[in-house]
Amino acid sequence: MSTENEQDLINAAKSGDRRAFEALLNTYYDVIFKFAFKWCANRNDAEDITQNACIKLARSIDKFDGKSAFSSWLYRLVINCGKDWYKSQNRHPSNPDALEKAKTNSDTEDSLYTKQVLHAVHQLPEGEKDAVMLVLSEGLSHKEAAQILGCKESTISWRIHEARKKLSAQFEKEQNYG
Amino acid sequence: MDDQKLDKILNDMDVPAIDENAKKRALNLAMAEFDAHQKEKEKKFQGFSLLGRLMGNHKDKTHKQRRDPMAEKSRKNFIYGGMATAAAVIIVAGIGLQQAPQYSMPIIPSPAETNTIAMGQATSVRGKVSEPVSDVYRQALETRNLQDSDGAQEESMSFVPKTKSTDSGRKRDQLGMVKNAPQKKLAEKEFYDGRAKAKLNRAISKDEAEVDALAPMASSPAIAPAREMLKQQGFASTVPMEEKIIITDDDTVNTYYQDEGRDQFQDFVENPFKAVNAEPVSTFSVDVDTASYSFMRRQLNHGVLPQKDAIRIEELINYFDYNYDVPEDKSVPFKPSVTVTDSPWNAGKKLMHIGIKGYEITDEQPNSNIVFLLDVSGSMNSPDKLPLVKNSMKMLLNSLKPDDTVSIAVYAGAAGTVLEPTKASEKAKIIAAFDRLSAGGSTAGAAGINLAYQLAEQNFDEDAVNRVILATDGDFNVGISNREELKDFVERKREKGVFLSVLGFGQGNYNDHLMQALAQNGNGVAAYIDNLNEARKVLVEEATSSLFPIAKDVKIQIEFNPALVSEYRLVGYETRALKREDFNNDAVDAGDIGAGHTVTAIYEYTPAGATQMVDPLRYGAAKEEKKHNLDNIDNASDFNQEIAFLKMRYKLPKENVSKLITQPVTYTQHGDGEVTQDTEFATAVASFAQILKGGKYTGKMNYDDVINLANASKGEDKFGYRAEFIQLVRLAQSASAMQPR
Repeated sequence: MSTENEQDLINAAKSGDRRAFEALLNTYYDVIFKFAFKWCANRNDAEDITQNACIKLARSIDKFDGKSAFSSWLYRLVINCGKDWYKSQNRHPSNPDALEKAKTNSDTEDSLYTKQVLHAVHQLPEGEKDAVMLVLSEGLSHKEAAQILGCKESTISWRIHEARKKLSAQFEKEQNYG
Repeated sequence: MDDQKLDKILNDMDVPAIDENAKKRALNLAMAEFDAHQKEKEKKFQGFSLLGRLMGNHKDKTHKQRRDPMAEKSRKNFIYGGMATAAAVIIVAGIGLQQAPQYSMPIIPSPAETNTIAMGQATSVRGKVSEPVSDVYRQALETRNLQDSDGAQEESMSFVPKTKSTDSGRKRDQLGMVKNAPQKKLAEKEFYDGRAKAKLNRAISKDEAEVDALAPMASSPAIAPAREMLKQQGFASTVPMEEKIIITDDDTVNTYYQDEGRDQFQDFVENPFKAVNAEPVSTFSVDVDTASYSFMRRQLNHGVLPQKDAIRIEELINYFDYNYDVPEDKSVPFKPSVTVTDSPWNAGKKLMHIGIKGYEITDEQPNSNIVFLLDVSGSMNSPDKLPLVKNSMKMLLNSLKPDDTVSIAVYAGAAGTVLEPTKASEKAKIIAAFDRLSAGGSTAGAAGINLAYQLAEQNFDEDAVNRVILATDGDFNVGISNREELKDFVERKREKGVFLSVLGFGQGNYNDHLMQALAQNGNGVAAYIDNLNEARKVLVEEATSSLFPIAKDVKIQIEFNPALVSEYRLVGYETRALKREDFNNDAVDAGDIGAGHTVTAIYEYTPAGATQMVDPLRYGAAKEEKKHNLDNIDNASDFNQEIAFLKMRYKLPKENVSKLITQPVTYTQHGDGEVTQDTEFATAVASFAQILKGGKYTGKMNYDDVINLANASKGEDKFGYRAEFIQLVRLAQSASAMQPR
């Protein structure tokens, strides 16, 4: 979808055009789901979060002010939905079992390692995990991530630095033992 | 581990393929939300049936409380658990008292009363918690006042014990129990302890009187747990008890999750007044559905006013059976009876009731070939859905003849046959099939409908009534979920002679709009089953009407005489309006009438010359006048008595060419006593429905007037439906009083 086209759709949806909103949703469902899955690493949870995000989007699209990119705005919405969802379920996002299940089909040694790393990423404190996901996994700039998470750019840099430090310490140690 | 490696892992993280079903579901929900939101922007909702909305104040909560319903829930459980325990202790104390009066403490207000407290606490999940305790509190205050008049000196020593014991003693006398002196002494000793505690409280309290009054309660062994419990909840002991409980109440109300406010209804506005000059003809299709009434009842029983769009006035009116003239012959299956009365809504206006009663099948019931199509998707998994469906269906079995065939199809994620066509005489087999069902999965409604029609066609019997009975909450989210497509699908099936009835269940996500569309296009009736009683009404008492159609595509057209009527308004039937030209077009679908169904339509009209809502035309008037004069000269005697001319078209169930019934309506047409009573009651129902819709046309009429009118015209009311209606009006009255303005 070209950006211009997308902008038109967003504007139409904001003013209450049903079909525009449907088209928008149709495109963005995949985006939301992918990110939600990365964020929570559990297929069922990701589906539920995505569903909630879509519903929330229906309610709040007319509040999108265009100050930031639509995708940034969407990331923020999804993260909020995710947090709300886990709060409502009264459990913590990183459910190791689910992570395992998600990756069982190709259980080579390499993928086992990958799995451990991902697991570790999901064990990071929330702010660090969000930053890592947005910057390292989604490839956003620190500035964009800062906008989405509502903090300073330096905070993002620091969080990513912290996360890298923790992860490498953890895996250095394990590899030494291994 | 180096940075690149981490980046690569995160970058390459593989995401499972998107589940199309999940996507479709999410999109449907989001679209529904979008529609609701758009509508909301234009419209004020009348409220959802979450009690918490009425009673708890969300705004008072902190952000954290709002965001964290689980924490609150667990706390609530704890509180209720505690209350239940306390209540149980009180009950035990009460029983002990009754069995061994010599050990009883006079302080305990009396066995009967303690039981009330216990019951009150155990049953009042929300809202009522404060009542029983505050009763005790009030009583304590009262006795204190009583004591005050006795003398101030005694008060300083033992005012509480004495008055209390007299009080309970009096009660015990009433209960025929023995009281004796030693008992009283024991009690007094107990109360001195209580007084010590009271003093302690007084030291902290700012409000002496109230704490004094409460002191005996704290000292009573039976009520102490309750007080203890309150302390556990973290309420300062200096606050008077009554106030404390109110806080508890406010804080614990709400938050169990239920789908809310996603019930979907077709949007419509009430019919306005129309000038006869501009539009002399009014055309509509009959509507024998009653779904709107039961849905309204459910909402009102929950203490909220139903959404305005949920009220279809004609369905409320047609919920009741009226004693209209019954036709003698099957070939002309019904006969209209018209009554004209004064309008209670506007002075000077008149009401014209058109009542139709369908021919009753008395001799022999035709055979039935029935396919039950049951929704067993996850959304049906609540006590008011699938279990109610099963019970309702079992009830319907009793209305069938042994020769009738029954099949059962279900749908959830996919559709399947549970019971191949089986004779109704094999009841055990059918019931066993019902009992096997359980709910789960998504909802492929369209696939289910397809299968049900196949089953019906497989067993198609030319002479029998072939009918699919669909029981669902209307939440179709897999397969064809587009309303238009489903409608077309059902419409095509209808041509083959299979009728469709829709029974709606559940609320919160009830898709009334879709259900109506299905039933109307499938030549069927839509009913809403909110409880077993309604199931009995629809499936047992009215089984013949629900099962056996006597006429289909019944259309009514009224032409008003401009010489006598200046303007008119059709009450209800907004969703059934037809175009004037569609009346004679047999291809246009309309409502069906079952055996014994009654249909009532009410017009409010302004006689010519009276004050009008619609201003008469400045330029049209002169011409009209002239024309009328000419008319009067030409055929004066014929038309100047006629207010209107009624035309009805219908098809017999197996025919495709419509028949016509015509009847002029004149001033002289008035029913006998009984009809008038029915007419009055119908007027009461119509008034109520319109008031619920906002009361645009009902003038000064209010709920009280409706109650009076309905009470006066209740008549025999064999099954108590009319009495229930009056009860509902009262509920609406209190619900509207709670409505934030």
